[in-house]
Order: sequence, then C-alpha cells, then structure tokens
Amino acid sequence: MKTVLITGAGSGIGAATARQLSRSWRVVLADRDRDRVETVAEALRAEGHAATAVAVDVTLAASVTEMMRQISRDIGLIHSLFSNAGIGLDRTVEETTPAQWRAVLDVHVKGAFLTTKAVLPQMMERRSGSIVMMGSDYSVKGMKAGAAYAAAKSAIYSLAKSVAMEFAAFNIRCNCVGPGPIETPLLRAGRDDQHWEEWKARRAAQVPMGRLGTPEDVAGVVEFLLGDDSAYITGQIIHPNGGQISW
Amino acid sequence: MADESKRPTIIVTGAGSGIGYETAISFAAREVHVLCWDVDPGRLAAAQSRHLAFDEVDVRDGTRMLELVEKAEGAGHRIDGLVCCAAIFRRVPFLQLDEETFDAHMAINLEGTFLACQAVLPVMRRRRAGSIVVFSSSIARSGSTAGGHYAATKGGLLGLMRSLALEVAADGIRVNAISPGVTDTPQPRGHSTEEQLYAKAKDIPLGRIGAARDMAQAVEFLLGPLSGYVTGQDIRVNGGSQLI
Repeated sequence: MKTVLITGAGSGIGAATARQLSRSWRVVLADRDRDRVETVAEALRAEGHAATAVAVDVTLAASVTEMMRQISRDIGLIHSLFSNAGIGLDRTVEETTPAQWRAVLDVHVKGAFLTTKAVLPQMMERRSGSIVMMGSDYSVKGMKAGAAYAAAKSAIYSLAKSVAMEFAAFNIRCNCVGPGPIETPLLRAGRDDQHWEEWKARRAAQVPMGRLGTPEDVAGVVEFLLGDDSAYITGQIIHPNGGQISW
Repeated sequence: MADESKRPTIIVTGAGSGIGYETAISFAAREVHVLCWDVDPGRLAAAQSRHLAFDEVDVRDGTRMLELVEKAEGAGHRIDGLVCCAAIFRRVPFLQLDEETFDAHMAINLEGTFLACQAVLPVMRRRRAGSIVVFSSSIARSGSTAGGHYAATKGGLLGLMRSLALEVAADGIRVNAISPGVTDTPQPRGHSTEEQLYAKAKDIPLGRIGAARDMAQAVEFLLGPLSGYVTGQDIRVNGGSQLI
C-alpha cells in the first residue's frame, strides 16, 4: 500500500482528502494542531484505515525535518504528497500589515517549498512520486481584499510548475488543485449561522453550477492527480470550481 | 438525476482510431456501453466487445446524430457522456491553404463538435445530468507551422467548451476539454516517421510522448464522479511540455 502525506489535514479539505484517500492509501495526516489531527486520524483508524497523525509547523524547516524523521522511523517511505496547509486573510492591501503578509505567504508558499523539498530525495531515489499543491481559483485571478492570499496561491502555482519541470526527469510529477468556493471552516470563518446561510446562498447563485463545492469535490481531483491515471499530467492546475472561471 | 433502470452509455466521435478508439475500448472494458461514431470503423472492426456499437457517422450531419441519440434513448440507453474526438489535420503551409481545406477542418473539427453537443444536450437536459469532453490540442496555444487552420479549430473548441459549460451548468451538465501534447496516434504518424515522432520526447519534461491511453484516462476522470465540481476546464495532458 502506498503512503501519502497530507499537510493541513486536521480539518476541511485536508481532512476530507485524507478520508477519501484512506480507502486505498496509507495516509499520514500532518497539522499544526496535534489534538485536532489526531482526532481525524483516530476516526479513520476506527473505520479500519491505515492513518497516522503527526504534528508539524510547515513554516519551520526544523519542524518539517523532525516530522520526516518521525515518519521515516514509524511509517516508512512517502510515495506522494498533498501540500495543503493554508490560512486565510480577508484584508485590503492598505489594511494588510507586513506581519500578516508574511504569515500568509509563509504557511502557503514556504510551507509548500519546505514540505516538497523534504519528500523529494526519497522520490528521486525511487524515480517515482506525485505531488499536489493546494492552489485556488485565485492562483490565476485577483482577489479583492485578499491580495496576500491571491499572491500566495499564484506563487504556489508557479512553484508547482517549476518543481514539475525540475523533477520530471525523475518521473516525479507536481500539479495543483485550484478550488473555487468550497464549504470549509476557512470560508465560514467569522460568519454566524444566519450570516453564513445568507452569504452561501448569494455566493452559490454566482457559480454556474449553482452550488458551493464540497471538500469531497476537491478530494476527487487530488485523488486523480496523485494516482497513476494522471501519469502524463504534470505542471498543471485543475479547478473544481463549478465553472466559475475557465481559462 | 440518473435513471438507474437504463443502460449506462457514452458516445465517442472519431472512435475508429487514435484517442477515440482507446477511449471507446477503455470504457467498454469497464462494461459501459459505447456508441462509436466515425466515418469508418477502422480498428473497431477487429474489436471484440459486446459493449461497443458502431454507427457510420459524419459529424457534419447533425440531423443524423440527433436521430441516433433519440434511437439510443428509445432502446434503453442512458447517455451519460459524450467524447468528441473526431478531427482531421492535413498539414498545409498557410499561403498554399485553399478554401476547401480550411472549410473541411472547420466543419469537422469545430462545427462537428458543436453539432454533436447539440445532439446530446436535449437528453442530458431532460435528465439534468451528463458530462461532455471535447478534444482540443496543445496547438491551440502554441500554434503550428503549416497548421494554422487546425490550430484555429482547436482554439475555437476552447471557446465553445467554456461557453457551453456556462450555458448548461445549471442543468447539471459539465463540459470540459482535454488538450493533448504530442501523442502517438495515426494523426501525427500521417506526417512524421516513427523516429521523428519519438525524437520529440527529448523536449518533453516527462521524457516520453503521450499515449492514447493517457488521454483515455483523463476522459475517465472527466466523465466520472471524481470531477463532479469540474466544468469549463481544459486539462492539458502533455508531459509538462507547455506550462502556461
């Protein structure tokens, strides 16, 4: 059974992807919040799946190194990576402080960089591997009151394309999944129940398919990109977005 | 939603060879019934599967395609998907390109896809479900020496795909494209030797040209449940050769 490492696996899309992949992969769930990710892993184990939780701060090289040491010791090889850890920030450019800017870019971009760099040596040795990074519709479009987030997601897409080119010769593929509006804690943050329902209905009406996406909608694309059915696809982004951006 | 009492079926245009053929046999192997449309059965003539049914179809004939869809529906088929592979590519330098050749490419590659989509949309709309895949090409972006007419049709397909995706999303129908890079099919073999074709691998990051199977697998993704929230997209199956 192949093993996939998923960062940001404690909730939302990361947790949903771990659940979906656990049907056919051994899943290693990484998150900054140890208790939260352990709860998700425990639930998967209770259903008979191979799931292990690890704690990591993807913005710190030492923490990522320690995570890899632990995985190597307790689990073994990592065959695939879903670099998913991220945080949101709804701020105009004028409101965004340098510290906020750095926090967003660090988790998304530096986190993807450090995690990818950590799994590459063993993939290169085996001349096989698949990496999926969490992009967004905002990887390819601007975001009003979300410049830091959009910059981070665009950066991730560029990083993925470059990793794709650099490691294709090792038969390592790297792609992005670029979701549109997905019902997650990140999207719901700061909205009470009534406000959320109103907002959701308004937002869904703007999506050609007439609904927000589910974490499972994203997990499906990740599963395709991590698996052998996409063996000739690298450096690409696939958008589960209900048709709201085509390019 | 889907009528479970009917027989799961997809339609593949250009199913007699290349990517269309590979797509047809891969779905048939999974026991999905495939209505194979082409001007000639080609490789299908030797295919052994009770899930493959050939109809002689020229995609320029919209009336015939509509009749075949209605007939299939009447015979208990549930049209879940349409895969538009039918296309021609005759390399001609631009200044030598005559009106007839230009028109033939537009009529088969672009208008033929438009007509095939029109033929299946009524039944998909009635069921409020369906997935359509059209085949564009990396040439839509890169252009092609002695292939401007082909590039135009493949670029046009992307505009058609995106617009149709917007138009039918509310009906529960998804529309996407696949843009293959260099792929080992009869089409490039028509104007390249095997040596020339495989020499292209050195310019492709993954180190090989595409196989028709690579494209069929992408079709399986786009027609299947893993892509349930994916519409209006162009999936570039090209070994990393064109990262734009």
